[in-house]
Amino acid sequence: MRWRWLVRVVHRGVRAQFLTMSRARLLIVFNVLTPVVYATIAMYLYGADQPGKLLQVSVGAGLMGVWTSVLFGSGGAVQNKRWAGLLEPLISTPAPFWVILFSISLATSIVGMYAMIATVFWGAVFFGMPLAFPSPVLFLTATGVCVLSMGMMGMLLASTFVFMRNANALANTLDHPIWLLSGMLVPIATLPGWMQPLTWVLPTTWGAAAVHNSLDGGPVLWPMLGAIVLGAVYLTLALLALRRVEQLARRQATLALA
Amino acid sequence: MLRTLRLAGVGGILAYRALFNWTSPSLFVGSLLAAPVFQLLFFVYLGREIGVADDNFYVLGNVLLAATGACVTGGTMAIANERRYGTLGPLLLSPRSRVVMWGGRALPYIGNALLVMTFTLLCAAATVGLRMPMSGMPGLLLALTAASLSGTAFGMVIGSVGLRAKNTMVMANIAYTMLILLTGTIVSRDTLPAWMSAIGSVLPLTHATQAVRACSSGADLAVVLGHVGEELAVCLLYTLMAAALLKYFEWMSRKGASLDAI
Amino acid sequence: MGEHDFRGPAIEADDLVRSYRSRSGWLKPKTNVIEALKGVSFTVERGELFGLLGPNGAGKTTTIKILNTLLLPTGGTARVFGHDVTKDPTEVRRRIGYVFGGDKGLYDRLTALDNLLYFAELYGVDPAEQRTRIHELLELVGLSGRERERVEGYSRGMRQRLHIARGLLHKPDVLFLDEPSIGVDPVAARALRVTVAGLSAQGVTILLTTHYMAEADELCDRIAVIADGRIQTMDTPEALKASVAADTVIEVEVAEATDDHVSALRALPGVLWAGAEKGEGRTSVLTVRAKPGGDLYSAVLGVLGDLHIIRVSGREPSLEDAYVAIVGNGSGQVRA
Repeated sequence: MRWRWLVRVVHRGVRAQFLTMSRARLLIVFNVLTPVVYATIAMYLYGADQPGKLLQVSVGAGLMGVWTSVLFGSGGAVQNKRWAGLLEPLISTPAPFWVILFSISLATSIVGMYAMIATVFWGAVFFGMPLAFPSPVLFLTATGVCVLSMGMMGMLLASTFVFMRNANALANTLDHPIWLLSGMLVPIATLPGWMQPLTWVLPTTWGAAAVHNSLDGGPVLWPMLGAIVLGAVYLTLALLALRRVEQLARRQATLALA
Repeated sequence: MLRTLRLAGVGGILAYRALFNWTSPSLFVGSLLAAPVFQLLFFVYLGREIGVADDNFYVLGNVLLAATGACVTGGTMAIANERRYGTLGPLLLSPRSRVVMWGGRALPYIGNALLVMTFTLLCAAATVGLRMPMSGMPGLLLALTAASLSGTAFGMVIGSVGLRAKNTMVMANIAYTMLILLTGTIVSRDTLPAWMSAIGSVLPLTHATQAVRACSSGADLAVVLGHVGEELAVCLLYTLMAAALLKYFEWMSRKGASLDAI
Repeated sequence: MGEHDFRGPAIEADDLVRSYRSRSGWLKPKTNVIEALKGVSFTVERGELFGLLGPNGAGKTTTIKILNTLLLPTGGTARVFGHDVTKDPTEVRRRIGYVFGGDKGLYDRLTALDNLLYFAELYGVDPAEQRTRIHELLELVGLSGRERERVEGYSRGMRQRLHIARGLLHKPDVLFLDEPSIGVDPVAARALRVTVAGLSAQGVTILLTTHYMAEADELCDRIAVIADGRIQTMDTPEALKASVAADTVIEVEVAEATDDHVSALRALPGVLWAGAEKGEGRTSVLTVRAKPGGDLYSAVLGVLGDLHIIRVSGREPSLEDAYVAIVGNGSGQVRA
């Protein structure tokens, strides 16, 4: 009974978030344009002499775009709700707050998929990139898992955004490091040794590896499993954090703007 | 004269504190100091992976991007936030010169840019290394000042448009992303198609980047000054554009009450 | 409506204390502590319409936010239908509706219907009943036919009505109305009062804060006046008015009154309060409230002898007189 209710709350929440985002036209432009620009940068940097790399590059840029969308989506959603005076009415309902945040994170990950589609499409149309997916099913599954694991990371971040008035401080800082440390565009093997342990604890590293391997025949299942397990860990951390965060927000009066 | 300077100086600093959303410690450190360093590292490692240009190419490009990023967003906020906070109406009632009032707002961002540049350069030198001869330092400072001026003017154009459009900050982000692609900071402009390169030549940062690269390779100060002059010309272009837009929107608002808080 | 096993009062606040800490400056951080509530206790019976009046910053909103679980008290306890707001927020949230004034707090880019559907789900309204309930409420607040428009195009009055509809979705036992009539035009405010009175008649317990004395007088069963973080007095509107009923109140409309005149009025023997309010043009209305006995009329006219007097009248003391007497500090400046 309770679970059915929570599922309905998530469903309506995703719908509300999705409608809100889809009606901000400029935000969609940004979500699509950023990965396209990065894909273009990467394509010009790699140049025409490495045509075999184009698909990897464009998919990597697509993952970067999804992460940007999740990061700014979750951070922005919490911040916008604060500005719109919605955090208080949302929290004063009997629905557990993690369900509300979960729907926001889920919606931003789904919207983030735009980024992947846009970059691949862009590469094919403007750079004559062949859409040679060895196994489209494997690629789509890996991408789905990777995006969900990003959503869970986004949720952990969003839970801290609830009691930080300046949530975008963290959001503004976390796009490039996660791109770099997850090996979305630059293989993590090129990073210095001290950075390596950092890459292992990010679900996005495993997710991105699964996506890249689905293109060049490497192992897909194991990295996918890693992304799922780490994603679940992040979700658990988010739930634990939220319990504390909600209490903190009520104590420190950070829900309202004034 | 003194009162004009006051309006430009004190007014500019007050506006910076009131409207620049990033002055709280967490935001300042996060958005202005940490983020640019991460961006720099990202592109340096990307550059190493691809092997098209050396570290120094990306370091210099990113330092400029980092330092002027705050100028573009700041210039935008300096104008667009007046609407967000609902203070635009009272402001437009002021009888004082618009040029001085808005222009003074650019000043604090130059200081900001110099601070960010120094920090980013030091971080780069400590992590991936930096090549800049001492003789290049004056040129570097000049180029950066010019870039922060033209970046702020560019941001003010976006902010002026933001007086009429919603989601101005998203616009500023889009514009900044375009700067990464088109100004030769990351991607060498000769690899871009001619039309992209042409757009780049009228964007802020492009000529400052050329100036900085010239400084780094030990070029003559005259060459550097030439590029700085071009950057200042671009700055003038955007300043005039922002002034024209502000004047137009102020007139439109009296005609159609279109600037009222949303 | 629900909760038949619990027999106690709807709301019990016991010695509530709340302080806010804020930090300013970041080179030399300074912590400021503001005591918003300094020990507030009251009880609201079931079905009662209880008013909380007081100046801005007196602690009204803080009290409401503690009771509706948005803020934790730094001291004291509060219960809603027997459930502690600190320990058992979810149980409290099931039973309360929260409506606040102003035009924020809605999904602007969604339609009114989408707003209500989402919150209906958040409040756990049975899916089979959601649409019927929403249409009932849209009818109640007079938004029927407009529900498929996006909220961004709504006027302030319409937003306010949508807020109320949202607060009632789950048929709450207690409704918190925090300055619901702020910025609403007189006709809409009147409709709002009718709606609130109707809800009260149906047995909903209501806690209302407002700045409009007439609204409080018309609606409330009991009123607490809160100032400086403490409850100054608590009684029925009639009893509050009776506390100043014996006093004489005179209003004099004059031209060109100055602050000196007001001070002189205040200095008259027996005068409890004097203030001025700006009228049309250069005229203003001076109000004097004094203890019974003595010839207040001649004394007042004596002080204002040098002014052009347009009108003099006596009137019944109002709730506003009682409020001013309690909150005190008639600063006497000619208010614009």
